[in-house]
Amino acid sequence: MSESANSSASDEALVQAARGGDMTAFEEIVARHRDKIYARAYTMMRNEEDAVDLSQEAWVKAWQRLSQFQGESSVATWVTRIVINLCLDQLRRQKRHRAESIEEMNEESGGVERQMPAVEVNPTERLERAELRERIDQALAQLTYAHRTVLVLHEFQGMEYKEIARTMDCSIGTVMSRLFYARRKMAVLLADLKSENEADAK
Amino acid sequence: MNEELQLKLQAYCDGELAGHNAGEVEAWLAKDPDARALLAELQNTRAALRQFGDDLTLPAPRDFYWSKIQREIRRQENRRTDELPVPWLAALRRFLMPAGAVAAALLGVFLVGEQLRQNDPSRAADMEVAFSDSDTFTYRDFSSGTTLVWLSYPAEIEFAEPDPGDILD
Amino acid sequence: MKLTISRGLQARCVASALAFFALAGLAVQAAELKYEARLIWATNDKKSPDSKHKEVDPEIRKKLDTLNLKWANYFEVHRKQFSLAKGAVEKVAMSDKCSIEVRDVDGKKVEVSLIGKGEQVWKGTKLLPKGDILVLGGNAPNSTAWLVTLKRVE
Repeated sequence: MSESANSSASDEALVQAARGGDMTAFEEIVARHRDKIYARAYTMMRNEEDAVDLSQEAWVKAWQRLSQFQGESSVATWVTRIVINLCLDQLRRQKRHRAESIEEMNEESGGVERQMPAVEVNPTERLERAELRERIDQALAQLTYAHRTVLVLHEFQGMEYKEIARTMDCSIGTVMSRLFYARRKMAVLLADLKSENEADAK
Repeated sequence: MNEELQLKLQAYCDGELAGHNAGEVEAWLAKDPDARALLAELQNTRAALRQFGDDLTLPAPRDFYWSKIQREIRRQENRRTDELPVPWLAALRRFLMPAGAVAAALLGVFLVGEQLRQNDPSRAADMEVAFSDSDTFTYRDFSSGTTLVWLSYPAEIEFAEPDPGDILD
Repeated sequence: MKLTISRGLQARCVASALAFFALAGLAVQAAELKYEARLIWATNDKKSPDSKHKEVDPEIRKKLDTLNLKWANYFEVHRKQFSLAKGAVEKVAMSDKCSIEVRDVDGKKVEVSLIGKGEQVWKGTKLLPKGDILVLGGNAPNSTAWLVTLKRVE
């Protein structure tokens, strides 16, 4: 397929061509969806370099496994699953080398956030999109990898509890606890960031 | 509000609560303002996260990003070909790979023609080569009744003898 | 009315019963097929570093030679014979990290699984008549290879 033909072809047609060994068709798929794949990796890894490396690795694996892609989802969703698994593997490797923090141990048994009354959070109020993104980014960075992962898989990937449990190799109960903790922590962090900003503005 | 109720409320918020359990939560929400506040908080946090979404741009130029992917794909293909156990099969694989259908087929079976005739014309028609996915190929010599399945199973296999009583349950 | 059985008839009955059970025993044995699995190291080295490993016997050597593999020598690391009744499964350790699981499908085909470090690496179903041999293989360190062979011996 020529470059101009590639740019107007559907994802399905490009996948078909790539399966036949057409590297330029695959390049077009990468160009179309690289931001999304990178974004998912970055949200999980919180590190630009790792996210770039893992997203590239995901594309290489996608090329190798094209024959296994049956079109049951979009190609972007399929490659996103690949990058998520790569990120999880990397995070597990990193966790083995990292001492468990007190916070991590506290999370499993339920932190203070679990007992707090509900926070009045409307973080989108009067916020520019970029500012909201930055706040959420900061808040996500303060979660542990386990809590951030379950939040990413549920909120961004739209996975159900049992699917998350399978992916993270834990029980559904653990998924629910971690998700609840992560959400409450995010709510507190976003509310704190909002009041800090309001105080600074005054 | 105990933990079990909190998690039920979350499951309700996520649409993961079935049948009578959902009704139970609704009844509870109707009479407990703390429960309603918590539900609102969960919903608002979710909305904020979904707005955040995947709004990130790759911090690398397109060509640079792609060239590294392309190089790695080629490097791995060359490595796999070099690891094949039969020299002429490596050449055959290079010939077949660009055709693409081989790599894509669930199990493509090819009667190998010219390549084999060059090695042993009398046996060419007896052999069957199949490439399934990129990690396995099958090669059968009909005349001797020998079938080889070559795997990319990691090469760290050790050759220590198993324990006695080695019929495992 | 009293039924009497002559001694001659008694003796014939006993003999028939014994013959029946003997034949039944043979029939049971005949329903079980015997297989042999081997773990082989393929190398261009003239000797294996482990003196217990001997060169493979000529029959296996001849089969492996038909594959035109790039190694000159094959050393037997482990051999195991086992019987398999119709529909039965047998798991055979080939090394401390690798085993195969063989299931008789219908008295003719076998389903073979290769298990490495506790995980299934490969599974396939094969017609394996007597005289045929299935060889599973992969690369090993220092440009050598491991082979697991399976054949029916009777």
